[in-house]
Formats: sequence, C-alpha cells, structure tokens
Amino acid sequence: MALNGDEEDFEWEPPTEAEMKVIQARRERQDKISKLMGDYLLKGYKMLGDCCEACGTILLQDRQQKNYCVSCQELDSDIDKDNPALNPQAALSQVRERQLAAQVPAAAPELNGGPTSSQAGVSVPQPRPEHCEGAAAGGRALLPPPVVASPPPTASTTTLAPIRPPVCPQNSTLRPVLEEAEEAVLTKLRWATAQLQSSASLEASIQLCSLISSCANSLRNLKELSQ
Amino acid sequence: MVPLEQLHLSHVLQAVSALESIVLRSFGPEGGQVLFTRDTGQVMVSRSGKRILTALHLDHPLARMVVRCVWKHSTITGDGSKTFVLLLASLLRIIHATATKDPHMFQPHNSTEASEAATARHLADRLLEFALTELDELIVLNVLPHGFRVSLENFTAETHDLSCQTLLVSFFRTRLGYAYCDFFRNLFCELLSHWKVKDDRPSFSIQFLNNSFLALHTQVSGVPVSCSRLIEGQVIHRDFATPCPQVRKQPLKAVVFNGYLQPKLLTTGDVLELRCGDKVTEDRGIVHFSSWTEKSVESIIATLQSFGVSVLLCALKQSSAVLAAATQAGMCLVECVSEEEISLFTQLSGVTPISDCRRIHPEHIATLTFCKPLLLGAHRYVHLDFHDCEERLKVKPCSLVICAPSEGQADQHACAFQDAFRMLLTALEPVRKTQTALEETIPSKKCTSLHADNISNGTACRVHLHQKCVTETGCVISAGGTFEFLLHHALHQYGHSCSVSVNTSAVVPVSQLLAKALLSVPRQIYSRNLKHFLQAQTRVVALIPKQPHALSANFIHTEGPLGDGKLSLCSCKNGNMSLKLLDLGLESVSCKYQLVLAVLQCLTNLLRINMVLQTHAVLHTESHDSLNAHSESSEGEDED
Repeated sequence: MALNGDEEDFEWEPPTEAEMKVIQARRERQDKISKLMGDYLLKGYKMLGDCCEACGTILLQDRQQKNYCVSCQELDSDIDKDNPALNPQAALSQVRERQLAAQVPAAAPELNGGPTSSQAGVSVPQPRPEHCEGAAAGGRALLPPPVVASPPPTASTTTLAPIRPPVCPQNSTLRPVLEEAEEAVLTKLRWATAQLQSSASLEASIQLCSLISSCANSLRNLKELSQ
Repeated sequence: MVPLEQLHLSHVLQAVSALESIVLRSFGPEGGQVLFTRDTGQVMVSRSGKRILTALHLDHPLARMVVRCVWKHSTITGDGSKTFVLLLASLLRIIHATATKDPHMFQPHNSTEASEAATARHLADRLLEFALTELDELIVLNVLPHGFRVSLENFTAETHDLSCQTLLVSFFRTRLGYAYCDFFRNLFCELLSHWKVKDDRPSFSIQFLNNSFLALHTQVSGVPVSCSRLIEGQVIHRDFATPCPQVRKQPLKAVVFNGYLQPKLLTTGDVLELRCGDKVTEDRGIVHFSSWTEKSVESIIATLQSFGVSVLLCALKQSSAVLAAATQAGMCLVECVSEEEISLFTQLSGVTPISDCRRIHPEHIATLTFCKPLLLGAHRYVHLDFHDCEERLKVKPCSLVICAPSEGQADQHACAFQDAFRMLLTALEPVRKTQTALEETIPSKKCTSLHADNISNGTACRVHLHQKCVTETGCVISAGGTFEFLLHHALHQYGHSCSVSVNTSAVVPVSQLLAKALLSVPRQIYSRNLKHFLQAQTRVVALIPKQPHALSANFIHTEGPLGDGKLSLCSCKNGNMSLKLLDLGLESVSCKYQLVLAVLQCLTNLLRINMVLQTHAVLHTESHDSLNAHSESSEGEDED
C-alpha cells in the first residue's frame, strides 16, 4: 500500500454507504466503550496497562483482582453486523465484493495490451457501471457478471450491452447477485436446521432459531427485490 | 503478559477517551458532582477535575501520565483541569482522523500503524511549534480586544472594581456552587486587602499568600459555612504543652527553638564513657550525668527568664524535664510546631530561630501583643499577634478560619481558596512573552492599543504598543466559550491566509486542526441544548468586526478611564449586551493561553511514546505463591 501511494490518491473515492455505516458503527462502539470504562473507573475499578487479546481494548480490574474487558463481556461484538449469515445487508455487500474480486483476475488476462485506464475502469464496483465510460469501450465485451456466474440468459444481455444505452443495466446485473445471495442464505438455513436438530443447549437453540428466522427474512427480502 | 508492547494511536486515544468520559459528567455549569466514599465511611462530594482524576485507580502508564500533567497544570494555574482533558481528547481525535486518512503523508513506512504514528507525531510537533510562536500574537490581536483588564492596583475591601469581583465570583461558583460564591468572594477580598503591602505590586502579596497558605488557614469542621471569618494574627495549630497562666502582662516576649532544649546526647546504641579525669570519685554514674543535663536546662530557662521571655515555640518534641522546668518558671511552651508555621512566624516577627540553646541573643526574641489559647471547633490552638507588625512590614497579618459541616467540605473550600490565589497569579501574567519581537513586527500589524489617545498615527502606536506590552496583564474575557469562539475564528482566518500565501496543498495547516479542536469546549458547555451553542456562537461572532479598522474605532468611542478601577468594556457597543456578558462570568485569558500550551505539550509527549516496557517487581516477599496475584507492574518506561 505504501508503494503505490500516488495511484491510490487518484483512485480514492468517497466511502460507500456500507462503509460509512461500518465507520459510524465503529465510532459509536468506541464511544460506548469509553463511556462504560469511565463508569467502571468511577466505581473503583482499576485501569490496567494491558490490553485484551481478543479485541485490543484496555482491561479493567475490580476489587477482587478479576480482569474485565468492557467490549468482550458487555458490548455485542461488531462483527455480527458484518456477518452475512445474520444480516441481509452484509450479505449483499459480500456478494458485491466477491464479484469485484472476480472481476479483476477475469479482466486481466483478456485485456492484455489494453490501456491501463481501462483496467482501472473495469475494477469499478458493479452497481455503478455508468462510471466506466472510458473503460466500457475496451472492456464491455467481457463484462464480468456473466463471466463469473454465467447463467446463459445474462450472457445474451451483455452482448447487447454496447448497443443498449447504459440507462437500465440494473435488472440484468441484479438477478445473478440476488440468486447468489439466495443460495448463500439457503445454505446457511440448511446448516442452521441441521445444527438445531442436533443441539442440546437452550441458548444455542434460541440463537439458531433466530438465525433461521433472519434467514427467512432475508429470503423474503430477496424475493421482493427480484420482483 | 507481553513484556513489550507496541503503542498504537488507538490505544492512546482509548485511554484518554476513558478519562474524558469521566470528566465530562462534571463539566460545564450543568455538570454534576462526583461522590467519593472511603472504606472508613467518609463521604465527600466534589466537582474539581483534579480531585476526581487523582482519585482514580490507574495502572495504565499513559493515563497516569495525563493525570500527572493535569495535576501539574492545576498546581500552577489553579483551574482548568477538566478543560485540559477535553481539549486533549478532541485534539487526539482530530489528529487520529487526519493521520488515518492520509497516513503516508510524509514518508513511507512498513506498516500502516507506524506511518500513522509518525504522521501523528509530526502533526503534534508542528502544533506545538505553532502555539509557541504564533498563538500569543493571535490571541493579543483577536481575543484581547474583546475583553477587559482586571487591575488589582487599588485593591481594597470596598473596591468597586467589578471585573475583579466578577472574576472571583465566577471562579468560586465553578468550584463551590451558587450558594457560597458571594460569601467566599467577600472573604477572599478581605483577606487580600489585609495582606496587601502598600505601594507594592499586588502579585507580591498574592504570591506570599499562596506560598504560606498552609500556615495561614485553619479548617474547622462541624460548624456552618457562614461562620468562616478572618482573625487577626497567626494561629499555631498546636495546643500549649504547659499550662498557660491567665494573667499576662503585655507585650509578651517569645523565642523559637529549632532543636532540643535538653541536649539529647544519648541515642540507642551509643556507648557513653563516664570519666572524671583519672580520679575515682563518688559522683560517677548515669545519675550524675542526667542531673548535669538537667542543670543545663535550668540554666537555659534562667537565661530566658532574664530576658523576660514567656513564650517558647519549639519545632521538636521536648523532654518532660524541659516541660517541668518551663511550668515551674511560668512559661508557655508549644512543641512540634510545623515548619511552615515557624517560617511564617519568623517572617512576620523578624526574628531568627535559636539552634544553639546556649547562645541566646536579643535578635532571637520576638514581641507579641498576646498569646492565648483559642478554641475552634473541637480543637484548641494557640492564637498570637505581633507587636508593631504594621509599622515594620506594612501589613495587618490575619488568619483565615474556614468552617464547613464536614472535613471533606472544609478541605474543598480551602483548596478553592488556594486555587483562587494561583488563578489570580496566572491571570496577572502577560500573554505576550517577548517584547523585542513585537517591536520589529509592529508596523505590519494593526494597532490594538487600549488607550484612546494613541490611535492616530503609527509611530505613536509603536511606542504605545511597547508600553502596552508591559502593562498587558490581567486581561479577562467573558466565560461561556467566548475565548474558544474568538480563537477559533482567528485561527480559521489565519489558516486561510496561510494556505493562500503558501501553496502547499499537501500540508495540512495545523491552525485548522487547533481551531476545530477548540470548538469542542463550548460544545460541551452547551451540550444540553444545541440551540444555546449556536446562539452563543452567533453572539460572539457578531462582535468580531469585518474590517480591522473598525476595531480601533470601537476603542475610541467606548473606552473609559481604566486607571481608577472603573469597569470599561472595550468592544461592546450595546450597554445591554455588556451586562449580559457579565452574567456569564469572567475567565482569565492568560489562564486559557497557558492551558492551550500545556495541552499541546502533553499531546506531544504522549505521541512521542513508541513502546511501553512493562517491568514486574514482586513487592511482598513473604508470599511467592503466585506471581500474578502479588506482583504489580511498575510504571512502564518510555522508549523513543
């Protein structure tokens, strides 16, 4: 990252909504941690010089010499929010990221000798293809989603893409995304059902049931989106 | 336990944010109080940031460092410990945000965190450099014109110097609440007027009072606060060791002893060889030796009686033989007098303490008007007054009695008094440090003289600005965030003018960082109601004129005579607005400037720390069972 610093300056974009949400959540979490630590310090807890191994928060110690980490033991960890199994939003963004990752290696071998700007253009995130005007000329013939998930109907739509004005490419690009999301959710649902059948503890069963219900919600949302 | 810990910017931020969240609860006029309880059942309520922070259990080296900085700052300026932590936290946050946004601004590093840390360090250094060189000028030009001067020259108890009174009232209000601020203000002014040396600088007497405050006040618990008063003379916080005869002729003579009256020639482990030449006599033995020492005590007492001394003040505990001899001679003896009290006594009476009891000279003998026991609360003290002190030293010595229902509260009031001295001392310091630099740059700066008759031409301006530097002390400004708003605006303008003239877009102007951080203080003051924050900001920004010339025009119209202590508001056109500003209270500009400098220095020190080395020392040698249970990590060493 330090090596290609100049290129990064040109490529810096404002963070997307998902990223903004993550940043905001992280800031709120830090504020909550500070407030909780302040509460405990005023109650007579001691602030140690060590950090928790799991999350890196400063440890507190109570009168009985027991160490206490505010974030691990009190706040919900913020990775739940990013866990695609529990959050449909995160699922969508994960799908997009996966496609992004697949775009770059797919584009690289086929664009040999192409201008570097087109390479930059192809790596632009999928939902905003209107940004890659310059790249479209070079790279549109190999538009990524059909290369990766390639159900045959979408291949035909991509060949029509240079002809069709880039006004509504959303429908064609959205369907494979949704299908992939549905697949992921269904897999998790199956796994959770299997776990539920074999689970023995009450807590775990409750959590698995909530997982199943959130999977069902996600499926419903995905179905609504595709209609 | 990891012996070596790499320090990241986020760790520093987390530690300081925890302290900030504690301090925020008691910050501002609507802030709450913290209730302290001890295992012994003692309870105390306090809003003082220094007290809250020093009472926390902190093992984290950075947190301890910050608390130490706060304590030191508070010892010098007497106020502003909560604002210190607030400003520090917001500066750290802004630097963290800037560093993470653009970490490889300066040089490439191997890891992101190292480059962030390097950027942060660099920013902090630049901030400190900026504050040390440019900030005082900005304050003098942009903030001082909106304030007014507090003058203690003609300070009397009946003074009508409203600005000084208001400054003290707002200070006591922040410390002790609305109930007793006026009462303590009056008590303070009375104390100051008694101790003011005529025809001398007021800061001299304030400094003296600050240094000898321990000896000058007595805390009494179990009595209502309104019983606090001044009493003449000095109070020695010990009782008489010998009975004090009721009838005394005046004036009395007193001496101060630094050592033992009965020489302690023998200590444990010494071997005493008793010999009377080579002859064997009947008078050998320890009995003879001790009777010899007693005879020496009697001779000392006889010498004292010949001088007419009737009061003995001793720094150390005397033996029973001495007490008996003193009782027999009818002398009052006070033992174990503290060092501060002896020092105050010697200063006020003009005598030197006796260290060698065999040599007593007239310069060791002090004259007192009276010396009698005094009952304050549940204790009996010695109350004495000095003869002809007023002619000799030109002061009327008096002592302060601070009463409160509980011990903790009395301690709080005493601390508030002492901090008021420190605050006044800092307020009387000038903001601009160097005068020579000023003389070089005057022609380029606009004239901001406070005197009406010198605005016309530049040369007079130059001369007068030089003079103004010398007398530019005691500037106060209305509280409630005015200083921060004005400085924020000034820094903003400065930043814009800098970026226009110097086209370095990659370099972040540090003045902008400081400007953003300063706003966090008024934001917290008005945190309950955002509307008030906006109103305050609008009101203050409205005071700032659009053109610099308008500022000097203000001076000509509204400036009143400052010499006779009357209040004059230099930049307020509207009479109503001036009253409203007074309602908010006053704070000293010099204190705020010192605060900003101290915060930036603490910030630089914090960000210079790279690594923390934890060393473990086993404290209790009797139980080695578990190292974790009984070892305590000593303060981490800093290594650059």
